[in-house]
Amino acid sequence: MERLYIEGTKSTPEIDFDPSKNNLKISGQSYPENAFKFYEPIFQWVDDYIKDIQGELLIEIEFKMPYINSSSSKCIIMLLDKFQDAFDEGKDIIINWYYDEENESTIECAEEFKEDLSLPFNLLDSGR
Amino acid sequence: MFSNKNTKKAKIKENIIDDSTIKVIFFASTVIVIAVCLMGLISYRIAKYSIIEKLKSRDLKYIAQSITSKIDGRISRAKETSFILAKDPVIIEWLEGKEVNETIGIYPKEKITDIAKKYDYDNSFIVSKLTKHYWAEGGKLIDTLSEQDPDDAWFFSAMKSKLPIDITIDYNKERKDTFVFINALVGEGDNPLGITGVGLSLKDISKEFESYKFGDYSNMWLIDKNGQIYLSEDTEHSGKSINEFLPTSVVNKIVNNNISTNLDGEIFDYNNSYGETFDVVCMPIKSANWELVFQMPRSESISMVNGIKLNTAVASFVIIILIVFIFYIISKRISNPYKRAVLLSQELEKKVEERTKELKEKNDKILDSIEYAKIIQESTLPTRDELNSLFKEYFVLWKPKDIVGGDFYFVKRFKEGYILVLGDCTGHGVPGALMTMSINSILNHIINEENASNPALILRKMNKNLKETLHNKNNGNGIDDGLDAAIIYVSKNNKLIYAGAKIPLYKKDENDITFFKADTKGIGYKNTNDDFKFTNIEITFKDEDIFYITTDGYIDQNGGEKDLPYGKNRLRQLILRNEENSLEIQKSIFENNLNNYMNGETQRDDITLIGFKP
Repeated sequence: MERLYIEGTKSTPEIDFDPSKNNLKISGQSYPENAFKFYEPIFQWVDDYIKDIQGELLIEIEFKMPYINSSSSKCIIMLLDKFQDAFDEGKDIIINWYYDEENESTIECAEEFKEDLSLPFNLLDSGR
Repeated sequence: MFSNKNTKKAKIKENIIDDSTIKVIFFASTVIVIAVCLMGLISYRIAKYSIIEKLKSRDLKYIAQSITSKIDGRISRAKETSFILAKDPVIIEWLEGKEVNETIGIYPKEKITDIAKKYDYDNSFIVSKLTKHYWAEGGKLIDTLSEQDPDDAWFFSAMKSKLPIDITIDYNKERKDTFVFINALVGEGDNPLGITGVGLSLKDISKEFESYKFGDYSNMWLIDKNGQIYLSEDTEHSGKSINEFLPTSVVNKIVNNNISTNLDGEIFDYNNSYGETFDVVCMPIKSANWELVFQMPRSESISMVNGIKLNTAVASFVIIILIVFIFYIISKRISNPYKRAVLLSQELEKKVEERTKELKEKNDKILDSIEYAKIIQESTLPTRDELNSLFKEYFVLWKPKDIVGGDFYFVKRFKEGYILVLGDCTGHGVPGALMTMSINSILNHIINEENASNPALILRKMNKNLKETLHNKNNGNGIDDGLDAAIIYVSKNNKLIYAGAKIPLYKKDENDITFFKADTKGIGYKNTNDDFKFTNIEITFKDEDIFYITTDGYIDQNGGEKDLPYGKNRLRQLILRNEENSLEIQKSIFENNLNNYMNGETQRDDITLIGFKP
């Protein structure tokens, strides 16, 4: 499995999925004109990755997303659903969602995401 | 087209050879010219110096030496001849016998005749002390000397001096010729019997002088101790003193110098009254106590330097031309890539210009089209009159991100009340606007007198309807579009019913702000079930209460120091600070406040904020 790295831009987050460390990181704002186009290769990678996972590995997924527009938010939900499915299949997955204390909307957003998921979902203050 | 290209090229060339290039070329050329000229001048100087050195130390000396040795040789030979005659026992015997013995006499007479003829002497003679007879070549008795005759004084003084050999020099004015007589005493030194010797003209030496003559203005003189000129290549000078031709200081040097001590001769130079430099060589003639003076203007002796001067100048000129030519070729080669780079960049610039123009045209076209779309979109929005007739007071801040957008609002009046819908379709710009158009028609289609007072039901219907429209036909393409919405039904008895799909409602009364949370599901999205039930919230209000609803564009707008979204808290604070103001003023405050927060950041999403008193 090759590492997936996409450099961040003003409107798209940096993607750093490193299978050797079992650590997937998404950091940055997300409001591209066509969110689906941006996230599609990421979905593809995640699908392949999950298929690949063998044994009891702890997969840590980090989100640091100060702003997600509504269409990106749909994509993030799709992404989280994939992890939820993997979790349901018995994969060891943990999600850490980092937020800025002053950024209420990202907390609300994360809380909304969390509501629909049963996998471990930690809301962490990135300032601490 | 072609000529156009050419003029362009010329223009570029002009650009390349600008002021600084010319300066560099001028500077380089100057340096080259100076260097070459300096080199030429130095080599000319060196050549001139070495030529003068050679002239002084070798050439002049060599000339003088060869002439003096010639004269020397001539005199020495004459001396020897005279000696032989003087020591001849037959001649001695003949003179002792007072030249009476005819038989003996034949020999001396033949002898002097032979010598004169065969050995190239002008004279040959025997003079007797006893008889004072002067026998000349040819065996003739031509004179009997007398002590009274001044012309014969040489004989008597020579006899008295008792020098075995004596040389007298005699300049003959009539013949314009100088004769040298070598007088040898015949017999024993104490009691000489007479004088015999030879005489020779220096005419042939004078000819030698001419052959050695260096230039038109050089002089060669044969002088005696007193500076009397006996021989010169210019016959006019003969018999004169060198005082007439040389400055006194030079004459003193020549005459007073003890010439015989310096057999190598002396060389010195002087300037005449015109400032011309002359070189002078004095060379003693050993055999005769004379001196050879050779005088020559420097300008003549180094006249070949003028040739060198010319050659150097020509060589320098050729070198300059060559260097300039090479320099030009090299600079052309060097400037060529630069020239090409300039050409290339200009070509690229032109292309970019063309592309930019093309893009601008396309952009203008698209903008025109979108501007027109905006007119259409705005025509679907409620008019000001409509809104004025429904609300006591209101403001609408509608700011699509890109001219048109996915935000819309909708009103409809009914018998018992009216309905306000605020929607935010996924995306913005043209795709968002397209969505609003279809939502608009759906709303018109599903809202009616019966369900108007049940906003939750309307949301549910919208959800179902939209899902059918958007997703049934194109499952699997990944598109998951929908909208957030808030529907408010205002009835006449100061009551309103609110249902929200992700768009909350704020109520500002005299004390505080009340926040009514929306349902967390949007409309038309895949993860909202077809039969999802939205929630109606019934709210009573006072006449002065103000309601605010906004799409997420306002609170999600980034800005501030940390570049974070504006947020609900800021909005609450702003609403509270604003309570005294009319809604019309509030509108500009909300707008300005957000602009300040953005501080130059671009708008992230469509923004709609509605404030109203129902």
